Amino acid sequence: MKKKILLSVIILCFILAGTSLSRGAEKSVLLKNGNVITISGETIKGGDILIEGQKIAKVGQNIQGDPGTEIIDLDGRWVMPGIIDSHSHIAIEGGVNEMGNLMTPEVDIKDVLYPEDINIFYALTGGVTTIHTMHGSANPIGGRGIVLKLRWGKSAEEMIFKGAPLTIKWALGENPKQTNIYLPGQTRYPKTRMGVEASIRNELERAKDYLSKWDDYQKKLKAKKGKKPLPPRKDYRLEVIADMLRGKYWIRCHAYQSEEMLSIMDLCEEYGLKLVCLEHGLEGYRITNELVKHKVAVSTFADFWSYKWEAYHTMPHAAALMAQRGVLVAINSDDAERMRHLFVDAAKAVRFGGLSELEALKTLTINPAIIMGIEKQTGTIEPGKDADLAVFNRHPLNPYTVCQMTMVDGEVYFDRAQYLEDRKKAEEERKKKEEEAKKPKEKKQKREV
Amino acid sequence: MMKKILILITIVLLTIILFAQDSTHKILIKKATLVPVKGETIEGGELLVENGKIAAVGKNITAPAGTKIIDASGKFVYPGFIDGYSHFGLAEIAAFASTVDTRELGKENPELKVAWAINPHSVHIRTSRINGTTTALVAPTGGTFPGLSALIKMDGWTFPEMSVKEVATSFINFPITPRPPRGARLGPERETKLDVTAKLVEKIKDYLKEARHYLELKKLAAENPSQTPPELNQKYEALAPVLDGTLPVIISLEKAKDIELAIKFVREEKLKAIFRGCAQGFQVAAKIKKAGIPVIIEDLYRGPSEPEDGYDAPYRNVVELAKAGIMICFSSGTDPSIGKDLPYHAARAVAFGLDHEEAIKALTINPAQIFGVDNRLGSLEVGKDADLFITTGDPLDLRSEVTHLFINGKEIDLANWWQNLYEKWKTRPLKE
Repeated sequence: MKKKILLSVIILCFILAGTSLSRGAEKSVLLKNGNVITISGETIKGGDILIEGQKIAKVGQNIQGDPGTEIIDLDGRWVMPGIIDSHSHIAIEGGVNEMGNLMTPEVDIKDVLYPEDINIFYALTGGVTTIHTMHGSANPIGGRGIVLKLRWGKSAEEMIFKGAPLTIKWALGENPKQTNIYLPGQTRYPKTRMGVEASIRNELERAKDYLSKWDDYQKKLKAKKGKKPLPPRKDYRLEVIADMLRGKYWIRCHAYQSEEMLSIMDLCEEYGLKLVCLEHGLEGYRITNELVKHKVAVSTFADFWSYKWEAYHTMPHAAALMAQRGVLVAINSDDAERMRHLFVDAAKAVRFGGLSELEALKTLTINPAIIMGIEKQTGTIEPGKDADLAVFNRHPLNPYTVCQMTMVDGEVYFDRAQYLEDRKKAEEERKKKEEEAKKPKEKKQKREV
Repeated sequence: MMKKILILITIVLLTIILFAQDSTHKILIKKATLVPVKGETIEGGELLVENGKIAAVGKNITAPAGTKIIDASGKFVYPGFIDGYSHFGLAEIAAFASTVDTRELGKENPELKVAWAINPHSVHIRTSRINGTTTALVAPTGGTFPGLSALIKMDGWTFPEMSVKEVATSFINFPITPRPPRGARLGPERETKLDVTAKLVEKIKDYLKEARHYLELKKLAAENPSQTPPELNQKYEALAPVLDGTLPVIISLEKAKDIELAIKFVREEKLKAIFRGCAQGFQVAAKIKKAGIPVIIEDLYRGPSEPEDGYDAPYRNVVELAKAGIMICFSSGTDPSIGKDLPYHAARAVAFGLDHEEAIKALTINPAQIFGVDNRLGSLEVGKDADLFITTGDPLDLRSEVTHLFINGKEIDLANWWQNLYEKWKTRPLKE
């Protein structure tokens, strides 16, 4: 009995210590005197943001922090919500395409995350705080993607954006057709857009069968009559597609041509699938009415085009035109380097097609947040949201802007001033070492003389 | 009487037609902020274009009769930008081999001329001039000796009409230490294998030696009829102007060690070199400056050569090279479909500390000088080609728009593939 009491006291002590520790970590930071681009409302000149723990507590002017609040003077710099890249392939170990099979929903990017990928840091230097990192586009029904917060230096598990909906990659057109990829060995089916559609439909039908077999089994099991039923064979591929039919996955479908986009929207509706977003969608500007009707978003490039036939009939005005016609548009990188200057890409939508500056910035923030189902946590600067922020020395759409600081959950993960200071120190140290290395040689020479 | 009237009408009509034609040759831009690049900025300035050339720059210019007047109030006039390295007219759709003419098979092709392959009607030429590019170097690629570039104007019905220099430069592709593959772990050491690179440079030197030998034999045969001349070798022939230092040769480089090797190579071979790339140039800037070699900056849509160089190395590199006094120029790079981004690369460098004026020079007079055409291009000076543009603001700012573009004094139609698509598709009726 005594032992038990002792044990519970010890456990209680641990719990208390734990809670007080976590309360201690609940530090407050006050960003003062910046130009706050809230996205959700007006831009606040001379604005302050109070961060408590991982969340934004207050946004406005003349905010006073409690004693002990860390103060960061923004000195008139611009702060916007952390940039969200809804289509990325960084932080992945090895290849992003499982080419071995036509359909690969059984593979999951979550299993191959690579938290030490330097591109995570590079993304932070461009103000990116959240990414959707995905499987490639080699398969009509590809692998599963994952939403990450760029908590650079943390483990893969700690980078995962908790509560973000599960996603799966689909792909149409030239990539699953493999008409631009020349692999050794035999070519495989499908080689046409017809085949791509048929292969998807075929797989969905197989998954429906699979679902009904399992439903049947469950029914028999519950009925408890006669012999105990044998369960059907587990098929991990069909399991995922069955979950897709149950609405568990948000479909992100790689597509370029307007007609295949129309077809896939109808197909997904027919099967009751949740198609949230068309990836790239370079011809999406042609079918804005239909995209709006089906409530399907487009995650696109600012002006990357002409690298293949299906990417030819487009223009840098496409993002603006789609957004102005009511389509939910995100401008994404799809590239580790482009990710570093997505703000430049947003500015292109202002120049081409005349998107307003606010709408242009939305394509990097709240719009991708909605597409990824994380708009309640991030994407704007509002009380209650995660303190994911990007600070720029000039307006983020100014051509000469440079990202100065990036915060994820109230924690600074990139600070240019600190970075430059560290670099200076490192260079000085290197010079010192070099000089020291030179010294003994000089001595030797002297002796020889 | 009837005849007289007819003659009179004909004369009047002819004068109108002549005048109408004449007006395209004489243009006066008024009330503009002129940025001549060479010389001070002129507020409320005027610029006269006559017969394809800049006839006058300044204020209160008297325009000859029949001059077309363009009111550029609140706008800016700059000399046309020169793109230091591109594949305009050589590549249409990257994935379609049938539309790509940038790279020949084989390693040694110093005699290949891009002039043969340029499509003057590529959509990318039209889309790439909307931000002020009026001239571009069109380069071949691949192998050790990819061939001969051409310097072209971004307008013309045929290649000869576009050509500034049918042969502008030669190329030697130095062995380049490859970058680590994407997603690769930060290895312990990725040292440049200096000895391997040096050995490959020896191979290039051997080839040049052979070419020199061939040219020597040919010369001897010309002087002495009893000597049999060597069998004609087009490749060696093409290297003759490179070896005598009359034709500049572009050497693409990335790593600091390769740059040092290349400086030595250029000195030993007595070449007139232009470096391109030089991602780690900031580490050896003083040496490049000492060698007096200009640098064509690659497009800045790229990460650092090594993570250790720092995330901002591509931009910082430009700043450091300019600071060292090296003549630099910008280029849009290997993808002609984003040629319009030329000024944006300059803007990125300015964001990280390059002087704005230097950036403008690196888009105008510097490339003109590097390619030996500064007598014709690169600034708003009397007598130079009337290649210029009128813009609503800072030409490096994304939000500025080029409203007029002139090449050889001709006002260029800014309509392009994108604009045509946009005009069409913005009219699709919206559904309720």
